[in-house]
Amino acid sequence: MSKKSCDISVAGRRKFLTGVTLTGAAALAPAIPTGAQQSPSRESARVVPQPNLAAETQPPAADPVTQTSSGGDFMVEVFKTLDIDYLAMNCASSFRGLHEAVINYGKNVKPEILTCPHEEIAVSMAQGYAKIEGKPMAMICHGTVGLQHATMAMYNSWCDRVPVYVMIGNIVEADKRAPGAEWVHSAIDPAALVRDFVKWDDQPASLQHFAESAVRAYKIAVTPPMAPVLLSLDAELQENPIPDRERLRIPKLAKVVPPVGDPSAIAEAAKLLVSAPNPVIVVDRYARTPAGMARLVELAEALQCAVVDQAGRMNFPSRHPLNQTFRRGAVVGQADVILAIEMNDLWGALNSFSDRIVRSSRPIFKPGTKIITLGTRDLYMKANYQDFGRFSDVDLAIAGDGEASLPMLTEQVKRLTDAGRKSALEERGKKLAEAHRAAREQARSDATIGWDASPITTARMCAELYAQIKDEDWSLVGNAIRMVWPHRLWNFDKSYRWNGLSGGAGIGYNAPASAGAALANKRHGRISVAIQGDGDLMFVPGTLWTAAHHRIPILYVVHNNRAYHQEYMYLQAMADRHGRGITNAHIGTTLTDPNVDYATVAKGFGVWAEGPIADPKDLGPALKRAVAVVKRGQPALVDVVTDPR
Amino acid sequence: MTTLHRGLLVALLALGGCGAAWSQNAPTGDAANGKRVYLAAGCFTCHGRAGQGGAYNYPAPPLAQTPLPVEAFKVFLRVGPNDMPAYAESVLSDKEAVDIHAFLRTLPGRRPAKEFPLLNQ
Repeated sequence: MSKKSCDISVAGRRKFLTGVTLTGAAALAPAIPTGAQQSPSRESARVVPQPNLAAETQPPAADPVTQTSSGGDFMVEVFKTLDIDYLAMNCASSFRGLHEAVINYGKNVKPEILTCPHEEIAVSMAQGYAKIEGKPMAMICHGTVGLQHATMAMYNSWCDRVPVYVMIGNIVEADKRAPGAEWVHSAIDPAALVRDFVKWDDQPASLQHFAESAVRAYKIAVTPPMAPVLLSLDAELQENPIPDRERLRIPKLAKVVPPVGDPSAIAEAAKLLVSAPNPVIVVDRYARTPAGMARLVELAEALQCAVVDQAGRMNFPSRHPLNQTFRRGAVVGQADVILAIEMNDLWGALNSFSDRIVRSSRPIFKPGTKIITLGTRDLYMKANYQDFGRFSDVDLAIAGDGEASLPMLTEQVKRLTDAGRKSALEERGKKLAEAHRAAREQARSDATIGWDASPITTARMCAELYAQIKDEDWSLVGNAIRMVWPHRLWNFDKSYRWNGLSGGAGIGYNAPASAGAALANKRHGRISVAIQGDGDLMFVPGTLWTAAHHRIPILYVVHNNRAYHQEYMYLQAMADRHGRGITNAHIGTTLTDPNVDYATVAKGFGVWAEGPIADPKDLGPALKRAVAVVKRGQPALVDVVTDPR
Repeated sequence: MTTLHRGLLVALLALGGCGAAWSQNAPTGDAANGKRVYLAAGCFTCHGRAGQGGAYNYPAPPLAQTPLPVEAFKVFLRVGPNDMPAYAESVLSDKEAVDIHAFLRTLPGRRPAKEFPLLNQ
C-alpha cells in the first residue's frame, strides 16, 4: 500500500488526509466531474442557493479506508504529559476514536481505561480517587446522554471542590453525522448542561487547540478552589488523521502554586487568635495534601485551642486532645474568636436551625465573637446552584488556600506568644484535653446500649469493623450517611484515614467514590473500607463489577437498614405535623418486600461476599474473612442488617 | 432553642424535680404494647430499636432506661424538642405514651464500657 496525500471534495474534512492510505476500489473511484459543481448563474444567484446534490450524493473522489495516525493519538500524547493515570468510561461511539487510540496507540497506560457500567460511576470514582491521590482522574462519556448520566456526580464533585477531568464526545459538523444515534447524541453546546458546576469548559476546533485547552483545563482544575472541568471532543478531531504532526506543540504544564493569604491579614488574624481567651478553629474541606493535617495540628497546638472538624477532608486526628468535634455547641458557644478554614457552609456550622412549621434559627456563638475566614471558596463561585449556603457575618475574610497559608499563620502565632501567654494557653489545652477524654468516654458508654441487639446497632458494626482493620494500614474511603461512630470510636491519625463526603449529597456517590479512592490506595498497599448505605448501592450496584474487573481491593460493609432512612424520618415528621396517622411512613421510603440480598448481588458481579448478617456474634468472623480477601487484592462485601442510625 | 423549647425544658426540669412524688401516682404502662407502638409509631427510626439513640437532623438521644418521669416523657412527645416531631394525642394516645415509657424502662440501657474489649481499642 502506498501512503499519499489526497484531496476530498467533501467539505469540512479539515484537510486531515496527510497519512491516509487508499486501498481497494475506493482508490480507483473517479473524481467527481468538475461540471457537477458549476458556478451559479446570475439568475440562480437571486434565489435561495440549492444544495450541492452531486457533492452530497456522489461517492467522494477518494475513499480511504485506513490511516496511519489519528487525532486521538495526539490526544493520548497530551494526556501522558499531564500524567493522567486513569480514564474512567462507559464506552460510547462519540469517542471511539480516542478510545481506540488509548488502548492501541497509548498501550492502555497513562491513562489506563477503567470500565464503568454507568457514567455516574466513572465521575464518582474520579472524585474519590482525586481526594486520596491528590491529582485528577479523567473520565469520558457521550456528550448528551452520557453527560446526562454523569451530571449528578459532577455536581457532587463541584460541591466537594474536587478536580475531575471530564471529556465528552460530540459530532460538531451536522453533515458528518450519520442518521439516528449520531444526531440525538450531538449538541451545539453540550457543556451547557453542566456549565453551572464546572470551572471551565471548551470544545476545541483543532488538535493544537485541543492541546492548549487540555493543559489549560488541567491547570484550572487543580488550582484552588479546585473543581471539575470539561472538554468536548469532536469525533472527527479524534478519528481523522493528524494533518501535520510536526506543527503540533504540547504546552508545558506549569507548577501550580496555590494562593496564600495576604500577610498583613494573616498577622491580624494571628493577633486576634493569640489574645483570645477561647479561640476555636472550625475546618471543613481543608487538607488537600498529606501535609495539611500536620500543619493544622501545629497551629492548634501553638494556640492550644479547640478544633471542630466538619470532616470534609482528613483534617485533624480524631484522638488529638484538642479535637472537640463532638463538643461543637459547647466550644463554639464559648468562643470569642473563630477561625473558619475552607468552609463550605459556615452559617450552618455556627447556627442552629429548627425544621418545624415556622422555620427558625439562632447563632450558637456569643454576640461579639470575631469570625475570621480563610479559604479559596470565594475566589470562584457561581450563582444558580445554591451550594454556597447562607451568608454569614464575618469580621476578617482572608482569600487564600488554607493549607498553603497555615505555615505563615502558625509562625505569626508563635512569634506573638510570649512565655506568660504560653503558660495560659497550656492551661487551656489541659482543660480541652480533659473534655476530649470525657467525650470519648461518653462515646464508649453510648456504644454499649443495644450491644447484643438484632438488627445490629451501627455502633457495634463500627466497633467490629475497627477490630479487624486497626492493625492494618487502613483507610475509611466512604461513609454513606456520615455515621458518627467511626469518628467517635476510631483512631484517625494519618492523612488518608478518611476521604470526606460527597459534597452535593447526591445518592450514588459512596460506592463508586470509595472504589476510586481504593484504587488510589492500592498502590500504597492500604486496606480500604467503605461503610456502604444500601440505598446508595441500589443506585450504582454496577460499581461492584468494576471493582472486581479491575481488582480493586476494598471492603464494602453494607449498612443495610432497608430504607432511604432519612426520608423515612422526614415522612414521619410530616405525618405527625399533619396529624394524619404515623404508621404509613414506610410507604415509598423502605427497601423491603422483598429484602435485597446484597451478598448475592455482589457475587453476581464477581465480588466475594457474605450476608445478610443479623446476629452481631456472626459479624466479627465474617469481617475477618472479608479483610483477608481484600488483603489478597480483591474486593469483598459484607451485608449487615442494621438498625437505622 | 426557641422560646417554646426553653419553656419546655424549664417545665421538664421542674417535673423531674418532682419525680419521687410522681412515681407513687404514675400510671403503669404495658411494656409489651409499648414495644409494639414504639416500633409501629416510628420512635425507633431516630432513637433505635434498642433505645440506643441515633440521629435525625440532630443527634437523637438514647431512650433506654430513660430517667424521665412518665409525665415529663409525655410532654416531650406532645411538644417535640428541637426537630423531633410532635406527637399529638390524635395519633398517639396518653395510654400509648405511657406504654412506650414502660417499654423503654425495660430496655437494658448502658453497661460499663470497660467490659467490652472492642470499645477499648
